[in-house]
Amino acid sequence: MASLKHTSEKALQMLRSLPRLSLANIRDNPHSRIKTKRGRGQHRGDFHGNGQKRWTVLRLGYDCSNSPFYLRFKYEPYYQGHHLRRQYPPITLKTLQMLIDSNRLDTSRPIDVASLCTTGLFQIFPDEKQFGFQLIDEGAECFKAKINIEVQHASELVIAAIEKNGGVIRTAYYDQKALHALRDPKKFFERGLPIPRRMIPPQDAVEYYSNPKNRGYLADPEAISHERLVLAQKYGYKLPKIEDDPQYNMLIETKDPRQIFYGLEPGIVVNLKDKCIIKPKVDV
Amino acid sequence: MLRNIVKTLLKVPNTRQFVTAPTSSIITQSKDRLAEQINQYNSKFLPEPREVWIENLDTEETNRLGLMKLHPEVFADTPRIDIVQRNVQWQKMYRFVSFAHSKTRAEKRGGGRKPWPQKGLGRARHGSIRSPIFRGGGRCHGPRSPTPHFYMLPFWLRLKGLTTTLSIKLAQDDLHVVKDLEIPTNDKEYIKSLVEKRNWGPSVLIVDDNDIMPKNITIATDEISYINLMPVYGLNVYSMLKYNTLVLTKAAAEKIQEKILFNLRRTDAYKMEAKFKVNQN
Repeated sequence: MASLKHTSEKALQMLRSLPRLSLANIRDNPHSRIKTKRGRGQHRGDFHGNGQKRWTVLRLGYDCSNSPFYLRFKYEPYYQGHHLRRQYPPITLKTLQMLIDSNRLDTSRPIDVASLCTTGLFQIFPDEKQFGFQLIDEGAECFKAKINIEVQHASELVIAAIEKNGGVIRTAYYDQKALHALRDPKKFFERGLPIPRRMIPPQDAVEYYSNPKNRGYLADPEAISHERLVLAQKYGYKLPKIEDDPQYNMLIETKDPRQIFYGLEPGIVVNLKDKCIIKPKVDV
Repeated sequence: MLRNIVKTLLKVPNTRQFVTAPTSSIITQSKDRLAEQINQYNSKFLPEPREVWIENLDTEETNRLGLMKLHPEVFADTPRIDIVQRNVQWQKMYRFVSFAHSKTRAEKRGGGRKPWPQKGLGRARHGSIRSPIFRGGGRCHGPRSPTPHFYMLPFWLRLKGLTTTLSIKLAQDDLHVVKDLEIPTNDKEYIKSLVEKRNWGPSVLIVDDNDIMPKNITIATDEISYINLMPVYGLNVYSMLKYNTLVLTKAAAEKIQEKILFNLRRTDAYKMEAKFKVNQN
């Protein structure tokens, strides 16, 4: 008998002793379709499960003449302002290592939202208040790559894991318009619009992005180098000198706080058809 | 009860063993760490690759010309009958336009006048002789022509439909691979007796990688309604189920495998689905 270690092997083995599959003997899974008909008589007729209300379709949560459950208790604002809060979909260090190992990310160039989105494995929805990616520390022990990465949120352990390998991490804010351009750069360039300026962070995010502990993009660079040493001492690793690194130029490459794409200033139009860049004559 | 059924089905003596390749040959001796990891993953989590005989068509009797390895993700996929059914249903429905039509009370002829006074006659009150409760009246919520039933099955279900059906066909011994479609004569009796002798069932679908096929087989199968030729780009779930046996040329099998594997690994499938989403904003 063939090896039956895989479930599909077992299923295929069973099929060998069953009649030939044809148009006449296939069917969908039972109950996979929801019936939308309002039954009559014994098929949930009478009041159609609506208490004493005969004809109306009752609103969601209505409890048939009782005080509905969701109105029975006083207002408790757990979700106050929830629709305004910024979301940062997580990417683990383990995933990041997998992306690098499988050549989906180029470590010889700085990594940002655009390079993560163009792998095709992640999507970002700025309309749903997603403001970029956060790196989380799962797989920090097996992270081995030396990268220059820019994310929107990162924990202390993540920063340590990246700097231990001689890499550079930076947290930066992008507004929704900038993220729309970054989530699909090709689509954005095809629209033929000049690249907009990146907006400065909102008031409640300024503190985070100007804190050198978070490697914020608005923080003082000298304070950041100090914090790099502090973190190395805290976690007990020797900080590799990026000045001596052969990839030094790549590792120190940063964007201007008003810039969206690496190497492209705001106001530039990228012409994909003629493969050229059109620069504005006056400064934007 | 289900367990009993499964047990009985598995006990049925196997007429043809799955030809399986030794695992060691799959793992290439490459030093590339990633390639090794992938191979380890495949040998651990994928079923073993299938092997089929490459047969001939130039004699009525079967000659086995060689062996061919088929990728388990395409030809040994989990058989999902429900996905097969959804594919068939979609293929039937997406180009179906219902021309059933009925007239409303407004479209019916006449009926503008109040048939009798509201009061004083002892009869029920009515405003039009074409109201839906009248004999010969209009129909409410009747079918309106044309009603299209177009919809798009999600990309992954369409892909899974193909792999599932190919796997089922192979598992049930209804899939054969031939070297090419060269036959010695253009006589239709030759192909009929070939199918008869090889026990391929009355209806056969022959798939080649190209849509221009050898002259002899084209002429021979032209008048037989139950033996049909099809290029790879036309392969679909409905046709595979409609015919008893599926015959692929070696080139076609390779092309199908290559195309399906490419699509299984693509990361931009969401962009292809975007066009068919109802909410376009």
